Amino acid sequence: MKLLKPTWVNHNGKPIFSVDIHPDGTKFATGGQGQDSGKVVIWNMSPVLQEDDEKDENIPKMLCQMDNHLACVNCVRWSNSGMYLASGGDDKLIMVWKRATYIGPSTVFGSSGKLANVEQWRCVSILRNHSGDVMDVAWSPHDAWLASCSVDNTVVIWNAVKFPEILATLRGHSGLVKGLTWDPVGKYIASQADDRSLKVWRTLDWQLETSITKPFDECGGTTHVLRLSWSPDGHYLVSAHAMNNSGPTAQIIEREGWKTNMDFVGHRKAVTVVKFNPKIFKKKQKNGSSAKPSCPYCCCAVGSKDRSLSVWLTCLKRPLVVIHELFDKSIMDISWTLNGLGILVCSMDGSVAFLDFSQDELGDPLSEEEKSRIHQSTYGKSLAIMTEAQLSTAVIENPEMLKYQRRQQQQQLDQKSAPAREPGSAASVAGVVNGESLEDIRKNLLKKQVETRTADGRRRITPLCIAQLDTGDFSTAFFNSIPLSGSLAGTMLSSHSSPQLLPLDSSTPNSFGASKPCTEPVAATGARPAGDSVNKDSVNATSTPAALSPSVLTTPSKIEPMKAFDSRFTERSKATPGAPVLTSMTPTAIERDVHRQVVVVKEESLHSILTGSDMTVSQILLTQHGIPVMNLSDGKAYCFNPSLSTWNLVSDKQDSLALCADFRSSLPSQDAMLCSGPLAIIQGRTSNSGRQAARLFSVPHVVQQETTLAYLENQVAAALTLQSSHEYRHWLLLYARYLVNEGFEYRLREICKDLLGPVHYSTGSQWESTVVGLRKRELLKELLPVIGQNIRFQRLFTECQEQLDILRDK
Amino acid sequence: AKVSVLNVAVLENPSPFHSPFRFEISFECSEALADDLEWKIIYVGSAESEEFDQILDSVLVGPVPAGRHMFVFQADAPNPSLIPETDAVGVTVVLITCTYHGQEFIRVGYYVNNEYPNPELRENPPLKPDFSQVGPDLCTSCFKRAGSFTLGGTKVTS
Repeated sequence: MKLLKPTWVNHNGKPIFSVDIHPDGTKFATGGQGQDSGKVVIWNMSPVLQEDDEKDENIPKMLCQMDNHLACVNCVRWSNSGMYLASGGDDKLIMVWKRATYIGPSTVFGSSGKLANVEQWRCVSILRNHSGDVMDVAWSPHDAWLASCSVDNTVVIWNAVKFPEILATLRGHSGLVKGLTWDPVGKYIASQADDRSLKVWRTLDWQLETSITKPFDECGGTTHVLRLSWSPDGHYLVSAHAMNNSGPTAQIIEREGWKTNMDFVGHRKAVTVVKFNPKIFKKKQKNGSSAKPSCPYCCCAVGSKDRSLSVWLTCLKRPLVVIHELFDKSIMDISWTLNGLGILVCSMDGSVAFLDFSQDELGDPLSEEEKSRIHQSTYGKSLAIMTEAQLSTAVIENPEMLKYQRRQQQQQLDQKSAPAREPGSAASVAGVVNGESLEDIRKNLLKKQVETRTADGRRRITPLCIAQLDTGDFSTAFFNSIPLSGSLAGTMLSSHSSPQLLPLDSSTPNSFGASKPCTEPVAATGARPAGDSVNKDSVNATSTPAALSPSVLTTPSKIEPMKAFDSRFTERSKATPGAPVLTSMTPTAIERDVHRQVVVVKEESLHSILTGSDMTVSQILLTQHGIPVMNLSDGKAYCFNPSLSTWNLVSDKQDSLALCADFRSSLPSQDAMLCSGPLAIIQGRTSNSGRQAARLFSVPHVVQQETTLAYLENQVAAALTLQSSHEYRHWLLLYARYLVNEGFEYRLREICKDLLGPVHYSTGSQWESTVVGLRKRELLKELLPVIGQNIRFQRLFTECQEQLDILRDK
Repeated sequence: AKVSVLNVAVLENPSPFHSPFRFEISFECSEALADDLEWKIIYVGSAESEEFDQILDSVLVGPVPAGRHMFVFQADAPNPSLIPETDAVGVTVVLITCTYHGQEFIRVGYYVNNEYPNPELRENPPLKPDFSQVGPDLCTSCFKRAGSFTLGGTKVTS
């Protein structure tokens, strides 16, 4: 065993409260105090492990410094996957960090040492809820939940997939909660507090399973933290600070019955931290001797206020090793390397120590599969091996489905490994932006800088963007709004290749959906706040029978054209040919359909649309397919549906639905968001607004879901009325993906049913096999992999697939 | 939204007293901001009281998309007549503050050392400060006070 105390790991003499080694073993994080703030520092592991690396000047020791916490950081924990780092501090906040790709050198501004950050870690989420210092955070075995405990006597369970959603708040402690640990099987979470109790909570319903108080009767709240630990085989839970006959111990609690018969005795002051080795061991096989298969055992490290550290094996009655006076002050945190052979210990005196064990000393570690096998045999299914984040007990029944699931995982793995390859390229420090080096930019900045004057005479500077933001989540390209220029209109009109006029009856099923709300006089006026649209949506949903096109294209927006037939306006239109000259002129303009000499629009009055007297028609276009589109000055765009002889609202610049819709999660990772086509051109909206507003509007989740659905349905319908097959396909897939992600089975089923059509031929069926030129069944085939990504829809998936197979075989 | 200041570089330091202050400020913003950030340079004439503070300049910076940005903030030198005689030569402070929607969320300060470059004058300073000779020398050590606040749902922190 080797002991090393790297002096370069420090917070400038200030205490280090927490340490955690990254699951891949290449780095570790420390949390503690900084200057007027909390400090989280990420260090390189190799200089600790290898002396040569320590001496090598080129190998960086400190990888990143984060000073964002407003007060001392009490706990830092890496997620099991290694993607996130959670830090909790005295400022009542928990920050979740994610690695960002290298976009230029950065230092911690204001730090006395001008150390450049080798890696970039960005705070992706700040979790606010606690009303007191956060003492400990812990990730659940499958990274679906993040638990945090605080001096406000509560434990909060956060949804790690959807920050900052809170799943549960565990109230029950009557004292400061100072430590948390998850059961490796995922069934329980245990917490220890100053109220002299250790409580175990069930994850099934987040209720209290048991509260253990006997070993803690004589305890006082003498320690800063009470970090407890659960053994990797799930059998034992070891508490921090307990008392036995006035002697400080670490109580061992057995899972079966929560019995408290054993404890770790020997420390002279309160035990602050207990940490189990993540590996389960078995006795080393000696060569030649056919030793009987020994029981697997675990290894545990105990740190105490008496500044000493002890390491125990559960198969031995005495500790494996005890190191006295390892530090000058109390031990605060312990972290094992994932291979189980190293420990990092940190202390209030601001230093860390590293213990390096060899396999001879500890034993043979079991592999992960063997560990899962033990879990399975003892407890049944373990949470840690679930691929899905939700606590469902779904078994994948269809092999095809399994294939899609695997592919999805593979993609995720690729995405994860891609950033891991980055460090190699990130070595260069000189930042280059657009071919110019940062230095040149600096010199020319004053000349290049754009300065303007605002309305009240103030100086306004437009900052020069030197780097884009990248958190891995967002697409880095920002799309500017496409200006609707005259040339565009030109291209639309001048398309001489004349596609055949598509059978308009294919759009009738959807148009029927549109006509329904037309007949209902809904007196909706004014702006449409998200709440209103939701109501309309639900009203329409109930009114349209299921026989209609299942895409539920009862877009509330279609109510608009029919709204408020302003009698005032009609009078005026009759009286003065001035403003309405346009209205009478336009029909004739469109009549001259170059390709088909078909009178598309005949004497169509625009009365129903031009409700406000100050609205003017700003532009008229003809799409490739001969659909007339009219742009109004208030940002709305209508397209004419010849079969119904109505104008349908296709785009509205002030559409609050679009602003509230948040379908980020269903965007395909590789495709560009831009789907070119008439719909995109008309809408010309920045795709950013949805994301922005999604954060500005703190709408409840359900409302946001509804608005996103309504928005997506609108888009599909709009693409359909514009006869734009490419966009229809794009939006339909997006919509389906959103439904899959959010779990809306009914609507998904309806879509599939419509796309599938009748499997066996039957006369009298109104089903059309194509929509806007695309074969519906082909669309369904494209949809299948999307559906296959959510295990909950596997029945649907299987059904659709079988039907498609039958059709194919016919 | 999170706005953090990445770096402030002081251009042309030291320089004569009457030459303008020039700071090159790099900052990072996590989301596009709806409004402009307002940056101010304040010269603290005297540590005794705030009434000697001079706002040398204030500028709006925008529009601010998400990402990292840089701009140069130039402000005229302080008006010497407003500085009390006893505090003119010596160490004082210049502040750069940034506010959003009227609320200040970050403040960066620099110690300014005004001294006569001429060693003779340094030894025997005239009673009335001769500003033509004085040059402020901004020490590279700076201090910052970061803060955060919530404003109607949009939280801007540094």
